[in-house]
Amino acid sequence: MQPALDQDVGRDKKDISPNQELEDGIHRRDFIKRSGLALAGLATASTLLTTARRGRSAGTNTTEITFSSAKFYGKETIAEVVDAYNSSQNKIHVTYKELPPPSSSTEVHQSLVQQLARRNGDPDVFTQDIIWIAEFAAAKWALPLDDHFNAEVMKEYFPGVVQACTWQGKLTALPWFIDSGMLYYRTDLLDELGAKAPETWSELIDSAKKLTSSGKTKFGFLWQAKQAEVLVCDLVSFIGSNDGVILQPDGKTVSIADDAAVEAVQLMHDLIKKDQITPEDVLSWDEEPSRRPFTSGQAAFLRNWSYVWKVAQDKAESSVVDKVGVVPLPHFPNKKSAACLGGYQYGVNASSKNKEAAIEFVRWMSSPETQLRFATQIGLCPTRSAVLDDPKIAQEQPFMQQLKSVFIGAIGRPVTPKYPQVTLVLQSEVSRALTTGNVKAALQTAKDKIQAIVKT
Amino acid sequence: MAVAEVQSHEKTLKRKNIRFSPWRPGPFVLLVPALASIGAISVYPVLLGLWLSFRDTTLASPTDTFIGLDNYRQIVSDGQFWNAWVHTIQFTTASTLLETLFGLMIALVLAERFRGRGIVRAAMLVPWAIPTVVTSKMFGWLFDGQNGIVNYLLRSVGLLQHSVNWYGSPDFALATIVIADVWKTTPFIALLLLAGLQTIPDSLAEASVIDGANAWQRFWYVRLPLLTPTLLIASMFRALDAFRIFDLVYVLTGGGPADATEVLSTFTYKNLFSALQVGYGSTLATIMFITEIVIALIFGVFLLRKMREVGQ
Repeated sequence: MQPALDQDVGRDKKDISPNQELEDGIHRRDFIKRSGLALAGLATASTLLTTARRGRSAGTNTTEITFSSAKFYGKETIAEVVDAYNSSQNKIHVTYKELPPPSSSTEVHQSLVQQLARRNGDPDVFTQDIIWIAEFAAAKWALPLDDHFNAEVMKEYFPGVVQACTWQGKLTALPWFIDSGMLYYRTDLLDELGAKAPETWSELIDSAKKLTSSGKTKFGFLWQAKQAEVLVCDLVSFIGSNDGVILQPDGKTVSIADDAAVEAVQLMHDLIKKDQITPEDVLSWDEEPSRRPFTSGQAAFLRNWSYVWKVAQDKAESSVVDKVGVVPLPHFPNKKSAACLGGYQYGVNASSKNKEAAIEFVRWMSSPETQLRFATQIGLCPTRSAVLDDPKIAQEQPFMQQLKSVFIGAIGRPVTPKYPQVTLVLQSEVSRALTTGNVKAALQTAKDKIQAIVKT
Repeated sequence: MAVAEVQSHEKTLKRKNIRFSPWRPGPFVLLVPALASIGAISVYPVLLGLWLSFRDTTLASPTDTFIGLDNYRQIVSDGQFWNAWVHTIQFTTASTLLETLFGLMIALVLAERFRGRGIVRAAMLVPWAIPTVVTSKMFGWLFDGQNGIVNYLLRSVGLLQHSVNWYGSPDFALATIVIADVWKTTPFIALLLLAGLQTIPDSLAEASVIDGANAWQRFWYVRLPLLTPTLLIASMFRALDAFRIFDLVYVLTGGGPADATEVLSTFTYKNLFSALQVGYGSTLATIMFITEIVIALIFGVFLLRKMREVGQ
């Protein structure tokens, strides 16, 4: 074997040209040389670039700040909006650091907490899910903004959002965009039935029963009960529609086992087990699994977020284009509709070394012009009531204006710095209430556990 | 000439001796990078976790004090912990037993000579090569309550009247996750057992045939006893791995419905990373770590005993 191999190598050597041989010979050294050159080039380039940037900052007195946000995109990205800010003036230069998209909310939360807990002022400005505001405020990571945005200014925003941005009487976040749960319904099916969009739960149950028993649709009403954050969102709107709350505004009194809440969770259970207008599958469904049957025409009603509107009007994805209407979620008799408030809001790092610049930047980001830009370019619904009425929105995102009544009625999830722990208890106990039917017992357990969490 | 050669050889020896004498720090310096990296990525985190398990650290609030064994006491009285613990043990036992059984059957078949054996051996490994998240999504669709093929098949043969919502039912969800895990990881066990089978000399089986043993006796009295050490090692690997089950549960059910599929890893993850209770979460992680050591020890004892028997 060995000699044969040697022969082969020998013959190969004879065949190749001297030139090639030379190339082979120096190949390794050459490679090292070239990569060395490339590295040197890179180093020089980056040094040059840094110098250039420093030069610019030094020359014009630019303040450098950083901005971290979860990733949202549409026709534009957030990075492009930030670039627009940078080129619109020369006092402040913002460096944008992108976090994962809001669907990976746990990861976004984690990386924000890790950064903020260092208290080194980086990032100067961040965006936070509405449910983290209390947590960040209580940890004193978020700068109170009352001195810069007075009550008069804040009247321009939806009151529900402003309330969610306030912790213990202090404004610690500035509104960016709003989202909320809402009721999607099939206009064609309700017309056939001669019914109007339901305002109370019994109207919804009635229409849904008629439609499913006559075989017009497979499912009556779809919502989400997977043991996940979305279950708490649904829970808030059911309990809120009976004038109940999970946690009182004082952040200490737990009302999840009160009659209003028990009645609401009993309704959630009955929709599945008694009225059977909701399939048991919702127990393992979050947003998308519940959206698919609706947009493929198998369901009469759906609770979901505003994104479904766009999907429902997209001919490639939906078989119910132009057959879908949106209204606020139904409520109990003589009570008010309640939608679960969602969305990301701005925060300024309390340890920021450039607070003035940071506040200037969020002021611009939350200004009517920028909110309009986010609405038309990325599809994020404005938190300023006046912006929502802008004719440009009517043109570009007509559905947003239909949702105005929904957004005005939106209410928040329990406001407590311990929310991450509270939500885990709610998810597990409400899931238990819905699967076992022992609503009262499960909610009592939830109450005991939450009380133990919030009292410390 | 010859003398000079010997002398030079002695010289090299001497030089070698000096160079590698235990007094010189040289070789130990070379070990430093390895020790440092093992220390940094394995020893330090474990010790840090242990240290944190005695504290009430939470990232989002200023509390960070030494509280002794309070976390451990709290865990003992935490119903959710025991719920997760029971599920983890159920999952580990069921998946390890089933995977070992199926793995053994597959290994026995693949140890025989037949046409296309190479292809079959390679094909068998496919489920194991698929990323778990993909497997999870796949089984999510297979067992889908509305459009899943499992429901369709069971209904068409008349075993089911109505579609079952596998992942939404507390009675079926964990079993369905076990099925997904068995599908995915049986090839791993089969591969280990196949390697074990190949170390058993054919001559033993031949000798037993000459003695009149039938196929079952050949397996039960000759191959199985010799395979036991491999079986134990394979199922130990599997049990330790199954005990840490996370991805299938996380993707498929998130621990629900009603905590019916909550296992220790997902419970720990929720406490550590969602609620950012670093202290309590570390205590959970420490308890998992200790349980893993206990499992490894139990298997280890059996393994040593078996190996001695086989050795005799």
